[in-house]
Amino acid sequence: MEIFPALLSVITDPILLFAIVLAAAVGMIVGATPGLTASAAIAMLLPITFYMSPLFALAFLYVIGKSGRYGGSIAAILFNTPGTAASAATQIDGYPLARAGKAGKAMKVATISSVIGDLMGDVLLVVGVGFIAAIALKLGPPETFAIYFAAFVVIGSVIGKSIVKGLASALLGILVAMVGLDPISSEERYTFGSFDLSNGIGLVPLMIGVFVLGEVFAQVEERRKATGETKENESSADGNDLTWEEYKPCLPHAVRGGFIGAGIGVLPGLGSAIAAFISYGEGKRRAKNPEQWGKGALEGVAAPEAANNAVSGPSMAPLLTLGIPGSTIGAILLGVFLIHGIQVGPTLFLTDKELVYKLFACGMLGIIAYGLIGYFGATQVAQLILKIPTNVLYPLIFMTAFVAAYSARGSMFDVTVMTCAGFIGWLMRKYDFNIAAFVISFVLAKGAEETFRQSLLMSDAGALIFVERPIALAFLILGAGAIAFRIRGIMKERKLAQGGLGDA
Amino acid sequence: MKRRTLISAALASIALAASATASFAADWPKRPINLVVPYKAGGGTDAYARAISAAAEGILDVPVVVVNKPGSGGLNGANSVVGARPDGYTMMMTSGGSFLLSTMTRDTDIDALDSFEFVAQVGQLQTSLMVPKNSPFQSVQDVIDAAKADPGSLRWAHSGRGGFHHVGGLGFLANNGIEAQDVPFKGGGPTRAALIGEQADFGFLGVQQLAGFEDQLRALAVNSQERDGIMKDVPAFGELGIPFAAVSSPVIVFAPKGTPAEVVAAMEAALEQIAAKPEFAELLASRGTGPVYQNGADAKATLISMKEDATPLIESLTN
Repeated sequence: MEIFPALLSVITDPILLFAIVLAAAVGMIVGATPGLTASAAIAMLLPITFYMSPLFALAFLYVIGKSGRYGGSIAAILFNTPGTAASAATQIDGYPLARAGKAGKAMKVATISSVIGDLMGDVLLVVGVGFIAAIALKLGPPETFAIYFAAFVVIGSVIGKSIVKGLASALLGILVAMVGLDPISSEERYTFGSFDLSNGIGLVPLMIGVFVLGEVFAQVEERRKATGETKENESSADGNDLTWEEYKPCLPHAVRGGFIGAGIGVLPGLGSAIAAFISYGEGKRRAKNPEQWGKGALEGVAAPEAANNAVSGPSMAPLLTLGIPGSTIGAILLGVFLIHGIQVGPTLFLTDKELVYKLFACGMLGIIAYGLIGYFGATQVAQLILKIPTNVLYPLIFMTAFVAAYSARGSMFDVTVMTCAGFIGWLMRKYDFNIAAFVISFVLAKGAEETFRQSLLMSDAGALIFVERPIALAFLILGAGAIAFRIRGIMKERKLAQGGLGDA
Repeated sequence: MKRRTLISAALASIALAASATASFAADWPKRPINLVVPYKAGGGTDAYARAISAAAEGILDVPVVVVNKPGSGGLNGANSVVGARPDGYTMMMTSGGSFLLSTMTRDTDIDALDSFEFVAQVGQLQTSLMVPKNSPFQSVQDVIDAAKADPGSLRWAHSGRGGFHHVGGLGFLANNGIEAQDVPFKGGGPTRAALIGEQADFGFLGVQQLAGFEDQLRALAVNSQERDGIMKDVPAFGELGIPFAAVSSPVIVFAPKGTPAEVVAAMEAALEQIAAKPEFAELLASRGTGPVYQNGADAKATLISMKEDATPLIESLTN
């Protein structure tokens, strides 16, 4: 086990330890700021790392990536605004908890679950890096498409009351994702001759718009209606403490989330947002209290948080051995390796084994660092934020949204996108459309389309390629089965509702 | 958050300063030079820009600041530089082949040959024909024979239609009278992985992508008359006597049209010195690339002849 001497050598290096703690703190802050993503922070800090030693630079950026993903949950819980795409699933239960004065509790659950998931992912990485890479190679476009198909099913679990409106939201997400360059022919579509649109709609401005701006608009409207009386967030000592009794039911969800996330991490390109939603959907399906989910269940925070962090570790395997980045952060890390003269590829474990294991060790220590900072700092942050009156907080969030949308790519067009998305998000809220379904399908549609069309180009027999390839077939059956299962569940619920209350 | 705004504020003030005052060629450079890279940080062209920036110390008196403006296949960054004040403080470094081809295939007012001043070429990216290690194809002739035996049965991978790898591959197919179905992937890394995973029969990808993957892939030929300067073990189409289209991607520094000739000449001279520095070559060696210097006029000539080679291929693409 090369990891133990590596851990030892990292622990005994105080400067490196300090860098890890610093990176954990920086990552948390950028992750927690709506619209500032860990990948943007890493891209920004990249030039600084040219002057550091390779291990130092890589560990610094790697830990920022990890803790940034965790930090996203803080904003999701406190402001109902996902700090990163990965934490969009966390807010479904996190924000209701915060509204009920349990922000500190929710954040502690998120912290513990993130640490569990992240460590599970890293252990898997250390144990099976070669094996993971072998799997990733076996998955061509047909297999990847089948996995996307199975992942689409998760939309069903967040679809909400109205199936029609849920599906309409998902379709809208797919339509918006189609804007830009065709992934196969590279021709423009739905761009209406606009150069800006030819680049497609960015995920970051879109998410800030529908989630942050949409929420602010909705709040403004609510306040106009409820003249005089304004509802402040509550906070109580009880809501900030977490007991073992409370976490106990969350543990199986966190562990399952860890496995789901680690599994998704093996597949390059699917990403942590998808892992979080699948874990949330699976958790809700298996939960003893599904009616609580979405209204403030601690388990509903544990499941997605464990999953989105578990992606981090295994996604390093295809990156290091095959040079395929599974995320933006991965792509930047790849650049750092190359800039420092380290050739990424199957020979990396022969040429730079020590460095790689030290990097893994730094990652694990980084998890513990953000876990400790998060657990003990969470309550303070929650209390501080919740002390700010809402009529100060919302204008602040409103401004941050604009700054964040602009700064991600330095583009005014992104600000326009965000503003439009904000109105769409507000309208969707007002008329009970499903924002989560909209965003998930936006995230999934591009990859699904690309792999589907690649498969057809590869095939001699059209769509039969999905049947010819056993792994692809298995995932398609899995997806179709899950849909059938869910439809049955919905039918049952309907019958119950009709029989019980007489109004559906 | 604070760091972020600070940096963007700093960048904004640099940009402001660069555009607010008129510059005189005589005392150029006085301020940092912004080198726009129209791709994301961490990519191949970006690596060249970072290496230039690092090696510029001691040659240029001011820092060279790399500014990444990704999007729209490189046109986003080009758009921002074409309209920049031609004072020598905003320049663009891009993959010349990709840039040329995207201006030919996309609906844009930018003309790669006319919209900019050519400063100099500092590097070269070449595409190559590769097969998975276990492929039955041992030589380029094997590929051609197999394609002729059963036209359209082979699948080939590349990193996106309209890119120079794709057009280079099309040139190989067209010049040898063979047909094969292309499967585009998104970028070089995924293309290489797909080829290693045997998702396609062969692929056209950057010859530097072989570095570190010699046990997974076999490069049959590099798409040029002569061998690549760094990946010397790979034979060239030219020496094998196999017809091809001379499409490659010289890494070129462009300045906005109207930049004073003295400034362009000074930067050209500086780039020549930088490209000759051993430090510059070292920074690039691990990526399987290296310095390839040409002055502005020669770089322009290269692109002009590439345009001639690519035009019929592009026309076959759009029809």
